[in-house]
Amino acid sequence: MNRFHRNGPTFWLFLAPVLLAFLMVIVVPFLIGSYYSLTDWNATARIGQGNAFVGLAKYGESLKDPAFLYSFIITTIYTVANVAVINGVAVALAVAVTSNLRLRNVYRMGFFIPYLIGGLILGYLWQFIFNNAVPAIGGAVGFLSRLGEPENLMLSRVPTGIIALIMVGSWQYAGYIMMIYVAAIEGVPEELYEAAHIDGASHWQRFRNITIPMIAQAFTITMFLTLVNSFKQFDVNFSLTSGGPATSFMGESIFGTELLAMNIYNTAFVGNDLAAGQARAVLFFLVLVAFSLVQVSVNKRKELEL
Amino acid sequence: MKKAVIIALALLIVGGALFAGGAGESGAGTVTLVQNKPEIDAMLQDYGAAWSEETGIDVTIKSVGGSSGTSMGQQLRADFAADEMPDIFVIAGIEDYREWESLILDLSGEPWVEETSVAFTLDGSVYGFPVAVEGWGMAYNADILEAAGVDPATLTNLEAYRRAFEQIDSMKEELGLSSVVSMAASADMGWVTAHHNFNSLLSNGLPYGDQSVVNELLAGQVDQQRLREYADWVELLFTYADPGILTTGNYDAQVGAFATGQAAFLHQGNWVDPNMDAANAGFEMGFAPHGSMNSDTDGIFVSAPSFYVINSESENIEAAKQFLNDMVFTAAGQRFMVDEAGMIPAYANVERNPKGQLSRSVQSWAAEGKVYSWNQYNFSGEFRDQTLAPIYNQFATGRISKDQFIQSMTAAFESLRG
Repeated sequence: MNRFHRNGPTFWLFLAPVLLAFLMVIVVPFLIGSYYSLTDWNATARIGQGNAFVGLAKYGESLKDPAFLYSFIITTIYTVANVAVINGVAVALAVAVTSNLRLRNVYRMGFFIPYLIGGLILGYLWQFIFNNAVPAIGGAVGFLSRLGEPENLMLSRVPTGIIALIMVGSWQYAGYIMMIYVAAIEGVPEELYEAAHIDGASHWQRFRNITIPMIAQAFTITMFLTLVNSFKQFDVNFSLTSGGPATSFMGESIFGTELLAMNIYNTAFVGNDLAAGQARAVLFFLVLVAFSLVQVSVNKRKELEL
Repeated sequence: MKKAVIIALALLIVGGALFAGGAGESGAGTVTLVQNKPEIDAMLQDYGAAWSEETGIDVTIKSVGGSSGTSMGQQLRADFAADEMPDIFVIAGIEDYREWESLILDLSGEPWVEETSVAFTLDGSVYGFPVAVEGWGMAYNADILEAAGVDPATLTNLEAYRRAFEQIDSMKEELGLSSVVSMAASADMGWVTAHHNFNSLLSNGLPYGDQSVVNELLAGQVDQQRLREYADWVELLFTYADPGILTTGNYDAQVGAFATGQAAFLHQGNWVDPNMDAANAGFEMGFAPHGSMNSDTDGIFVSAPSFYVINSESENIEAAKQFLNDMVFTAAGQRFMVDEAGMIPAYANVERNPKGQLSRSVQSWAAEGKVYSWNQYNFSGEFRDQTLAPIYNQFATGRISKDQFIQSMTAAFESLRG
């Protein structure tokens, strides 16, 4: 308290830029957005268009919209699968590149590079792979000929479309998560492995009983990052599938791979209802906070068991 | 006290840095134009630069849109929310007009109004400067049709198309085709199905400007006979399309199949001329009518697709007006519209002709007066993109039958009654 007092002005002076930036780009827009979600604002110059206060009407409308509810379900499925796949792949890669592999630094770099490519470009690249390259392989290689048939295109059906999104998402993100695991694995003391080795523990036993518990902290971080990122997925979704193909849900035709972020975008900018988009964004925020809190507390408990 | 002063000072410094970017954009004599034809962006930029040099007025041109990406409307809503509306922007029709109604300047007295018949007009006042004339029908490869013994002049109804498609389909091998018609219905190609193809239901066979079907549908009344014939037409197109391109292909895949001679027909408009040119498509082509009805429909869909409008709250109205007039009345402006951008001019005083084959086909249909209107813009973008496009997509992927397609379309129109 004393030290804080003595350095008061300097303390605030140094904090001011960060505080101000945080206020201007996070807190203020969030509050304005929350306010707009209670109005009927649509950002056009239509005659008679104001932004009247309508209370929770937009929330009610959103919760009755089949497309929004469907997006919630499909996004949850996508997130669970994506978190599992990314972390599974990342741990496997991390174990591989921390072993005595030759050229392991080259591999590390190679696995990491996809993360540096923007999601939009990546989506178009993979769209080409799924729509053109894969059928071409099917046409050229006899026993894979089923791949060449148009009805087997990954992006022409909803379940395989979601799998395609997961493949691209993992390809992009697993290298980054791998780096976190690499740092954690390299922090595990060598003596533990030596002792276990002398006791006759197998590779799997050493991995299961030493590596996994010792990197539990890394799991908290990576699970959080992958969970939040999967839930907020937009760019790959936008460029790879654009929400297609369509499917039926609650008696209406809607886009079958439209994740939440894209549904919000379409509501606001295609559907021309910014207030409803805001309302959905607020709901999205609340759900994401709840998911993350549960995830972090579960992971933290695992850490304490050590 | 001293502490408060220091905090205030710190906020001031940082705040000053943050807000410094805001001012300084509204110097007199600049025109900002936002347009939605990315394919002519380079030519328009060049023309704008030359015009600036001539007149001393700065021009900023922003192009948005394309098969995937932000649309005009999305860009404008973002600009409007940020209080950065451009001086000139584009509307496509009455729905767009209503969206920006309080901002759109009345241009009735402008000189170019005398020279065009397709300006955007409402209640006797002119609001929109037609950018060009465009049209679509079924683009055909004349060489393939001749080899298959199909006369494009006979393609005026459902039955004729059915026979022609069957005939060509049976000769696919010898003609080197992968499919009869190049059609796209994937999620980001909703504009081909739920905008262009949809218009066949709205205006095929009706006198130019007739909105009777539109008004009925907007009131939730569906003419089942007309819808059923239309559904037959959609089914016919989907059946003879390449399933890969139909369900997952993008614009390049769709247009490419036609340009490389792998498809006899293409469901697009004359805007594909530059693509044909780029692909060195060496065959003869033209437009045939859409056969969406049992009765004959001898005409294609022709209109001004979009209109430049001037922002009435702009500080540069005079400069913006001059920009539009110069495009019509100066040699450089006419050269830009016709030769460089390859557009069909909407103005009688312009004597140039575009060089693209499909553009010339549109011109000749229009010259004969065999034209049907574009009525799809009477429905909101949301209705077309979010409600209709998924229905077409489900029909294309075979997830719903023709009867379900008809039911879903009917339900969609009935929901408009509101």
